Amino acid sequence: MPRAKIYGFIALLVSTALAGLFFYHSFYGPIAGGIFSSLLADNAYYAVAVPLGFLVLIILGTGFWIGWTILTIKVAPPMPEIVEKKDYAKPKAFLLCLVTLALLALFAYGVYLKSYWALALPAAVFTIVVLGMVFWVGLAIITTRATLPADKK
Amino acid sequence: MKICLLSYRGNPYCGGQGVYLMYVARELVKMGHEVHAIVGPPYPFEMEGVTLHRISNHNYFNITKNYIKPHKPFATLQPLNFYEFVASKLGIFPEIETFSFRAFLKLKELVKEHRFDIIHDNQCLGYGFLLIKLLGIPFVSTLHHPLTVDRSTWFEYPSDFSLRMKRVLYYPLIMQKIVTNRMDHIITVSHDAKREIHEAFGTPLNKQSVVYNGLDSSIFHPIPGVKKIKNSVIFVGNVEDRKKGVSYILRAISLTRNRVHLNIVDGGAPNRRFVPHWIDKFGINDRITFMGKVTNEKLVELYNRSEIALSPSLYEGFGFPAAEAMACELPVIASTAGALPEVVGKHMETAMVVPPRDPQAIADAIDFLVENPAKREEIGKAARKRVLAAFTWENAAKEMVKVYEEVIRAYR
Repeated sequence: MPRAKIYGFIALLVSTALAGLFFYHSFYGPIAGGIFSSLLADNAYYAVAVPLGFLVLIILGTGFWIGWTILTIKVAPPMPEIVEKKDYAKPKAFLLCLVTLALLALFAYGVYLKSYWALALPAAVFTIVVLGMVFWVGLAIITTRATLPADKK
Repeated sequence: MKICLLSYRGNPYCGGQGVYLMYVARELVKMGHEVHAIVGPPYPFEMEGVTLHRISNHNYFNITKNYIKPHKPFATLQPLNFYEFVASKLGIFPEIETFSFRAFLKLKELVKEHRFDIIHDNQCLGYGFLLIKLLGIPFVSTLHHPLTVDRSTWFEYPSDFSLRMKRVLYYPLIMQKIVTNRMDHIITVSHDAKREIHEAFGTPLNKQSVVYNGLDSSIFHPIPGVKKIKNSVIFVGNVEDRKKGVSYILRAISLTRNRVHLNIVDGGAPNRRFVPHWIDKFGINDRITFMGKVTNEKLVELYNRSEIALSPSLYEGFGFPAAEAMACELPVIASTAGALPEVVGKHMETAMVVPPRDPQAIADAIDFLVENPAKREEIGKAARKRVLAAFTWENAAKEMVKVYEEVIRAYR
């Protein structure tokens, strides 16, 4: 079997298994055990925390990577004649790295404590961004002329 | 051979990708190959013998208003379009990535009817290409230079933190690295670009072949009887592309002993942000003319009216403007950066070669050529001879076919 197909099968199996685990622990588990008693049970909590954690990691990782790149990139200095302002990009990049690391640590600590807010805040940010974009598109559709301009003859 | 070319922008008047596609396709057809081209907007005009397959994009990155099409109001909410929209709003340049997925979907349809021997991409390298690889067709890509060069030359210029953040997000370096190293073979346009790709992405040198670009000498040629304008210098290129070293050119103009006039042909760059400011700063307002967007005929005329061409870039994977000027018998002042020495040849024989980032050296070279008309003419004539001998699209296509054959053989 070609290697690509093997990877394809692995991807199918892993994603199906993970989806099954997620739905079981997020929905079936809490409902079967009484939703109020086990809402914060380990499995139910981590079923949401792990995928959300990946998302947080990607977003904060991107922020850190941007800061790190600005901080460490080695380039020739600009021609002195065109430099007008003092360059504060590096201190700001350092701050960005610190902030992203601090947020990541805070998230990890929150997850360790099984804090509701550790999940709710990043989920809220993600939801607001996606819904905000859909809202933006919706607004653009509403405010766009619905028909093509009449042919002037 | 049945060849499928991919180009995320197809129009030859809107960028280098379209020029490359047009000439490569034309020469391959001349050699008797069956050529298809999957192209994104702006689309190329019809080419004889080439079957075009157009795929759309919404270009949300550049179109910030009126992007909803009245006849397809919900198109933006379709998954790929929505991704393109969100990515654009977050400052990521999604055009090449979405093109790669759309090209995959188009190819999936096409392979039901056409049995392509090879697919050849032109510097797109989006994640969708990993899916195209699953179609089981040899797949090569032309990489003119790695985007790491664009990013680092951009960072050389003073800018604020938010602009730098945007630039880090803008260049899809990780994607380009991942996809480049998974292509069956990489075609690049100079030995310097080959080395640069190896350094930036770790792509093995034996997985890359150098095929020099060509130049259409039927378009770019000396026009008999056209009178040169005294002390006129020409620069062709996007002034906002930091690789072109425009700040050094402007500084050099302010340093010359002879009063020269610089004509800038930048295709009517819509976002001239810094250059007008630098022109003011160096006090050379009356010595610069922006020529805007010009036709090829007008460009050739401008080359022919000028005495000197400037191309002191900080990096070039090849350097079309230098080669074009040379084809018009114009002495070029080029830098030693990137592939320019490969293209322009020897100092004082076929060009004047100066170190990059050295305005005084550029100014000295301008003064030397202004004061030595005989040398100007000698270099110009030798330059054209060099270009005609080394850079033709016919040679490029022949070399490309050799690469195709090797890749196909290795694939089987």
